[in-house]
Amino acid sequence: MDQAEMCQPVTDDAMLRRIERLQLNYIESIDDGPLDKWPQFFTDKCLYTVVSRDNYDRGMELGVMRFESVGMLIDRATATQHAAVFAPRIIRHVLGPAMVDDTRGGYRSRCNVVIYQTSPDGDTVLLMTATYNDLIVEQDGVLKFKEKRVIYDTHRIPDSIVYPL
Amino acid sequence: MDGTQSPDNSKIDIWSEAGTTRVPFEVYKDAGIYAQELEKIFYGASWNYVGLECEVPQAGDFRRNFIGEREVLMIRKDDGALSVVENRCAHRGAQLCQALSGNTGNAIMCPYHQWTYTLDGELTGMPFKRGINGKGGLNPDFDLRAHGLVNLRVESLNGVVFASFDHDVPGLSEYLGPDMVKYFTRIFDGRGLRVVGYERQVIDCNWKLQMENLKDPYHAGILHLFLISFGLFRLDQESKCLVDDSKGHSVLMTAKGTEEGKEDTGGVRIAAPDFSLTDHDLIQPRLEFPDNVTLSIQTLFPSIIIQAQCNTLATRQVIPKGPGSHELVWTFFGFEDDDNEMKDLRLRQANLMGSAGYVTLDDAEALEFSQVGLSGSHDGDAAVLEIGGKDCESNDHLVTESLIRGFYMRYRDAMGHGKVGV
Repeated sequence: MDQAEMCQPVTDDAMLRRIERLQLNYIESIDDGPLDKWPQFFTDKCLYTVVSRDNYDRGMELGVMRFESVGMLIDRATATQHAAVFAPRIIRHVLGPAMVDDTRGGYRSRCNVVIYQTSPDGDTVLLMTATYNDLIVEQDGVLKFKEKRVIYDTHRIPDSIVYPL
Repeated sequence: MDGTQSPDNSKIDIWSEAGTTRVPFEVYKDAGIYAQELEKIFYGASWNYVGLECEVPQAGDFRRNFIGEREVLMIRKDDGALSVVENRCAHRGAQLCQALSGNTGNAIMCPYHQWTYTLDGELTGMPFKRGINGKGGLNPDFDLRAHGLVNLRVESLNGVVFASFDHDVPGLSEYLGPDMVKYFTRIFDGRGLRVVGYERQVIDCNWKLQMENLKDPYHAGILHLFLISFGLFRLDQESKCLVDDSKGHSVLMTAKGTEEGKEDTGGVRIAAPDFSLTDHDLIQPRLEFPDNVTLSIQTLFPSIIIQAQCNTLATRQVIPKGPGSHELVWTFFGFEDDDNEMKDLRLRQANLMGSAGYVTLDDAEALEFSQVGLSGSHDGDAAVLEIGGKDCESNDHLVTESLIRGFYMRYRDAMGHGKVGV
């Protein structure tokens, strides 16, 4: 089967809106919290990675975060809230429109994302420009991420990445 | 007066009688001191990390890097040897290579006027050298040989490449000393290396605070709640803090602790004592070196750190960016003979380290707190370094700041700020 047959652009408006809503609910769980909700957007076995464009283009998988199950995502959410020391900050994601294709493994969604970070003193900086490269599947009527790859251009990160992206 | 023009011997008197148990806050924020650090330390008699040999496998491969604020290129030559040259054209000073890495063929050519150099940096020619129809161009007495790129001295030790602007600096092994070579070659044991990936972050604090952080086992058992919670680091672990004779280099090592008795944390507040991990690979290292050490941090003067935490191995290069900022470049590496399980472990355990690392995220934050705090200091204010006494000696315990005191002995010596005892 060739690539064209395996991968069709999704034109169903209702499905596109459901996927858009998933992405917006997802970023809301990070931007507005609570972070405990964040792992719920993933399937039990999943892949969440945050990889620089520099590594990605070199064929290197090393990510600043790499989680392969909901359990690992819960670990991260718990550690961020209870076992990390950092200055308070506000994260704000701005998403571009998604290109969504229907593939045999699920819905492949790609969109640009810009993430800002605001300090307690009120200074806002650009944390990164990135793309989401996601694989979305439907489980018991609910859309979830089976894969979310955050590929970020800004590979000289200002300070730290505290929250998931 | 511009701070960068302060006389050479200024600032000696900022150090008090208390030796290196007091570090004047000026050394973290004064532009004049910073300018002298670049000249005397980074561009002086020091060996600076420029990369791994495996990053430039083929002839013509280059990797761009910094020593201090000067850009350098590590290049693989046709004969397989390495050269390191400054990334600055001898003509008008333009940056030669812009990409972080690539292949420059058999010559380096400036994009501006196409002045062309060998991979060693010798100037070989330029367009219109003799002008057009006898008009213009260079005078016949222009000596190409006198206009090459700045060429650095290069040495590599088991695949790790260092360079120096000072061609008279002692050899790398002598510079490191036998103890440091021993621990360096414990990890870089001669096996072929492979890069697992890079991370880069800009941390707004003086570069020395970053070096101090890796010479400060005291903080690790307090700040890093993640490590404490999972017994990855405890101040009562079997451990060693080794300082070399010059006091500028050091190694900090611990053997694996257990989660047992984690309630006894010496008064350290643990936010979530019942927090347990789903992913145990993170904290279950596969022993890969011939001992039971699961954490080793080697710091080499002036600015490179070699980390082995569980199976996540990395060089961390500290690049100064003015008195109040630095870039931290992480090169995560493994070995050519890593099996698939080890490759997975290295990717997974990288969650501990880097700009979002469970452990190092705390460090970058605390270091910025330090710079913000000390920026409000006044003349005479100084950091206090008396944990573990006042000396700069090796220890078999972790509740000590002796490695930091040692760093400042070496620093004062290099800066001409008076070589002092304690």
